[in-house]
Formats: sequence, C-alpha cells, structure tokens
Amino acid sequence: MLQFDPVTLPDNTVALRAEVRRFLGGCADRLDAPNSDFSTGHDAEFSAALGRRGWIGMTWPKTYGGGERSFFERYVVTEELLAAGASVGAHWVADRQSGPLLLTWGSEDQRNRYLPAITRGESFFSIGMSEPNAGSDLAAVRTTAKPVDGGWLVNGTKLWTSGAHRNHYMIALVRTAPPSGNRRAGLSQLIIDLQADGVDIRPIKNMAGGEDFNEVVFTDAFVADADLVGEPGNGWAQVTSELGYERSGPERFLSAFRVYVEFVRLVQADPSRVAAAAVGRIAAHLMALRRMSISVAGMLERGKAPNVEAALVKELGNNFEKLLPEIARLAAPFEEPFVGNGAGDRSRFRQTYADTLLLSPSFTLRGGAREILRGVIARGLGLR
Amino acid sequence: MRQVLLDTAARILQDGCTKADLDTAELGEFPGPLWRTFCDQGFHLMALPDSGVELGDAFRVLRVAGRFAVPLPLAEALLANRWLRGPGDGLNVVGRWLGDDAPGGRSAAPRATEAASAGSAQEDAGVFVEVPWGRAAQSVVGVAADGTLWAAAPSGVQQGANLAGEPRDQVGADAVRPLACREPVLALLALSRVALSAGALERVLEFGVGYVQEREQFGRPLAKFQAVQQMLAATAAEVAAANRAADAAIDAIGDERFELEVAAAKARVGEAVGVVAETVHQVHGAMGFTYEHQLHHFTRRLWAWRDEYGNEAYWQARLGRHICSLGAEQVWDFLATRS
Repeated sequence: MLQFDPVTLPDNTVALRAEVRRFLGGCADRLDAPNSDFSTGHDAEFSAALGRRGWIGMTWPKTYGGGERSFFERYVVTEELLAAGASVGAHWVADRQSGPLLLTWGSEDQRNRYLPAITRGESFFSIGMSEPNAGSDLAAVRTTAKPVDGGWLVNGTKLWTSGAHRNHYMIALVRTAPPSGNRRAGLSQLIIDLQADGVDIRPIKNMAGGEDFNEVVFTDAFVADADLVGEPGNGWAQVTSELGYERSGPERFLSAFRVYVEFVRLVQADPSRVAAAAVGRIAAHLMALRRMSISVAGMLERGKAPNVEAALVKELGNNFEKLLPEIARLAAPFEEPFVGNGAGDRSRFRQTYADTLLLSPSFTLRGGAREILRGVIARGLGLR
Repeated sequence: MRQVLLDTAARILQDGCTKADLDTAELGEFPGPLWRTFCDQGFHLMALPDSGVELGDAFRVLRVAGRFAVPLPLAEALLANRWLRGPGDGLNVVGRWLGDDAPGGRSAAPRATEAASAGSAQEDAGVFVEVPWGRAAQSVVGVAADGTLWAAAPSGVQQGANLAGEPRDQVGADAVRPLACREPVLALLALSRVALSAGALERVLEFGVGYVQEREQFGRPLAKFQAVQQMLAATAAEVAAANRAADAAIDAIGDERFELEVAAAKARVGEAVGVVAETVHQVHGAMGFTYEHQLHHFTRRLWAWRDEYGNEAYWQARLGRHICSLGAEQVWDFLATRS
C-alpha cells in the first residue's frame, strides 16, 4: 500500500561519514549541546566551517557552489551532525529547502545571487509561511504584495518565523491577487531582505526560555521584481513542493536523540530488565525510522516527490521524539525519592531530558502539525 | 524469480484461505488440500539449504502467507524441513522441548560432529509443547531451552490452541534424536512471526481503509470523517514502520547482526500490532467483533504471533543489553552502521 523500499547507502558514504566524525571530533567544544534539536543552535561560524568543507548545498549544481553529490551523501552528513548535537540551526532551512526551492522554481539570476553564499554558510534563510490567522490553514495568508514600479510593496504580518532576527532573508508566501473562489490561487513567493526598510522583527520568547521564533511585520516593504520566485500566482504549488524536503529528514526523528545517549550512559553498567528493554525499544524505533527516512532520500534521489511517504516519516518521527524522553524517564533509576545527589551522569541526563521535554511541544507542530500530516497520509490512502 | 515465487504463493493462498477455510481449520481440521498444493509446487522444501531459493525468499513467502492468515503451520514446516534435511513427504513441524534442559539432562549444545556420531545414542523420551498442528505431524523438531534441536516421531497428542485458534498441541516423544544445527534457531523462528505479522498488518489496514469507504453513517462514508481519517493515517504509519523493520530483518539473514536485527523487528512489529488491531477494530464497529467477519482471523493471529518466540519485552531487552554493552558513546555508531 505504502512502500518504503530498502535502500543501502552507497559505499562512498562510508568515507564521508568518517570524515564528518573526524571533523566533529575536532570541534568537541561546540558539541556540548543538551539537545539534538536542529533548530536551537544558531552558530554562524560553525555553518561557515561546514560550508568550507562542502557540506552545505551538497546536492546542488557546482555552477552555484554546490557539490553535485547524492541525496544519500547529504543524508549521512546531516544525520551525523544532528546525532552529535551540532549547532546547525543557522544554515538549516537555506540548505534544506530555500536552496532546493530556488533550484526548482527560481530564476537564473536568483540562483546566481543567492545559492553560492548559502553553500559558503554565509547566507541564512527563514520560512515565511505562518501568519496570525494562517497556521495549519496556509491558504488563509493575508500578507499582500501590490505591484509597483519595478517590484512589489509588501504589507502584513508573518508569525512563528524561526531565526528571522538572525537570518538574512525570508521566502514569504504572499497574496498577489485578492482571494477568489479558489483559495489557493493568487499566492506568490517573494525573497525578502530581512534588513530592508519596512521590515520590523520582534522576537517571541518560547516556553523553554529561548528566543527563536518571531513576529515579522511588513509595512510597505519594497521587494524588487527580480526577487519574485517562479510565476506570480504559482505560490501554492511551489510551497507544497518543498514539503518532501522538509518533512522526511533525520531532523524529524533525532531531536530527542541526546536524551537516549545520556540514558544509555546512565544504565549501561548494570541495566535492569526494564532499563534494557527501554534501551532496546528506543533502538527498534530508531532503526526503522532511519531506514524509512533513507528510503525517502532514495526517492528524492530518483527525482520523485514523495509527499505522502515524507508525511509518514514525520508522523512517526515526531511522535517518537516525544515518546523517547518518556520511555527513558520511566526506566531511569530515579524512582526512589531523596536518593542520589544528582551529580555526574544523572545531572547530564536530567539536563538533556528537561531541555528536550521543554522543546517537545514544537516537534509535532513545526513543518506541518500532526493533524495536517495525517490528512496528507489519509489522502494517500484514498480516504479524501 | 522472486516475484514469480511470491505471485505463485499468493495465487495458492487466495484460493485456499477463504473465510470458510479459516473457519474449518479453526475447528481443528488440517487443511490437507492446501498443504498438498504447496507440496506439489515444492514450497515445503523451499527453505532447505540446497533448494535453490534464497532463505530470505522463504520468509518473503511467509509475509504473503500472513496477508491471507494462512491456516497452515507453514513457518514451522519450512524450518523443520530445513533442519531435518531429508524431510520425507509428511508434515514436519517445529515445537518446543518441555523443560529447562535439553533431552538427557544435557544443557550443552551438541556440535555437528558430535551429534552425527551420537546418532541413535540418544533415546530419551519426553514431551514437546506448543507444537503447531502436532496432531497432523509426521515428525516434530523440538527446540530446547539452550537452542539445540531434537527430532522425534509423535506418540500421543494432547490438542491445544493459541488465542487465534491455531492448533498448538502437546506431543509425546518416545525417542528423540539430536539434530546438528549451527543456526540462530530462536531468531529464525521469531523472524517467521515478524514476516507473517508484516503481511497480516498490511491486510488489516486494507480492511480498515476499504470498510470506511463503504460504510455510511450520518449520510456519508466513514472515510469522510476527519476523526476516522486521523486514526487510519496513524495506523498506516505503524504498518509502514513494521514492514520496513521486517524487510531489514529478512535482509539481514546471514549477517553477523542478524539476531539483533530480528530483535529490533520483533519489537517494532509487536508494538505496531497493538495500535493497528485496536484502531481497525474500532472503525469496523460491532461488525468487526462478530465471528462472521474475517477481521478476527487476522487480528487474533497478530495478537498471538507477537507473543510467540519472544514478545517485545524479551527482544527489546536483548537488543538493549547489547547496546548497553557497547556503551553510550557507541550508540550512534551501532544505529548508523546499517541501512
């Protein structure tokens, strides 16, 4: 019914994986992250270092600074970075979807202007989809772009825009024609310079205490014609084409991975039956998810648009990211009140557990809420 | 070649596994015609080392058999014939040797040479339990707690069944003889449950998807209700994960990590079974709770199979202990070594 063909990673990924691990071994001071969430660590210097090694825009044409490498090679690099808890947040969106979007729909001029800097790890992008009244219902966007001499004037508000206060550009979904009977018509994508006049960025503190997402208000912000992506009015098709890239990667099941590592450290010396089963249960989930994610990489490599399969990986992966800390919590040897001093491995476990738990509500929201993803899957099953 | 094999199996099963066939088998009547068709096509010898069929393909046939809730002890017959080598024409099945020790009170595994020379020296009597269709068997291969294999002709059968109504008999044996075997016996048996379950899970999902499109309430098909769509989407995700896990374990036959891959698959598939059976029964309403509907032949087997040859907890702990022995710093490497 829904087939995830077994895919063996090609041999050339073995040396690449070793190379990434060597590189990560050399920057251990940057890796003491309490979580492996792809969005939390924003480190421009680290991104530039990855860019120098050719690990951003790996699959893109060399003309634009890319590496012309396979999706499998990109997969291996990204999973190694995430598993180590590396700070990949700065370039993540540009590498994962803004660049591929411009490669598919962008003009030659746009590719030349934006892609090389992305591959160098110097240019960071935000996703401009959600708005105050357009969350899961993306077609409800109200931000408008009115044609003026040489470009567009943008007015409206984008919300929950991760990294907008630190990134250089946003690719925004805006209305270039008033709403009609077809809600998905009249939408377009614009590349907006986040430092431009008329762009006001207000960070929003999240429940974990971090300031990652923002409210971005546009007041007559000017965008040149040259920064309209694709065709005016084609925005819906363009936005949905990003989803296979956005939803199936290892960041959709590795956000809680550091909790697992610290949990194993805590119990490895003398695992109880319960602890051993918890370790194995988590591994069984991870092994299946990783293989499904690699299957999707194989579909992308063959030029397919695996939107339903990607939704399945995200559905399973996000649920698992929430389940992992829960399995570990209940199997960790903390059941006795007032026992232990909370030092050492215990303290590491508690820190990474708390950090991940506080981020976990976002796991099943970002990149498409769970309920929306299930709708995509249901459509794939022929139910709607 | 593989596809021809699987298609042939599917055709045989399609004809021989109707609801009526499943009902009759549950009454305890061995489905002889279906078994003979399999034998005529050579399927019963498929898992022999020199059969010309990859062992993995035998398990892929089992996955197809799971799609039809096959009312035969196909898995145990294939593996018994593999381990007996010269199996003859009758039904041979694998069961469990009752007791903590191997026959004769020995707990050491007989080595190939030792077993060959020991030959008829072992004449212990005893009991095999959980023997699928022991009542119809010509000989039984019993797995002892230490993983050694012992064969005997049945003498006296006490009938029993698992919660799916599949015969699981207790079989007496007057004279057991050791079988030489260096294979991970328990893991292969567990893999048979993984493969059967993967196929059955897929079929159960299809029942659910089909039913909600036909059944109308409140003036529209159940499929049009978001709550129903959400349930089946989550179910489809579990089925997809279970099948990917099953594939990985089948592909790992002969690999040094085989037992660990089986552990991961048995654990993952078992977890999927709970979710899938629950939700697909729920969308079928009371109709799916009747004996008249075929759904229970599949869900009851899934519930039985997840406990046979080690449940999730057993295999999770086995996999978990291995990972603990590697240590926290090696966890990622263990997970990322194989795709």
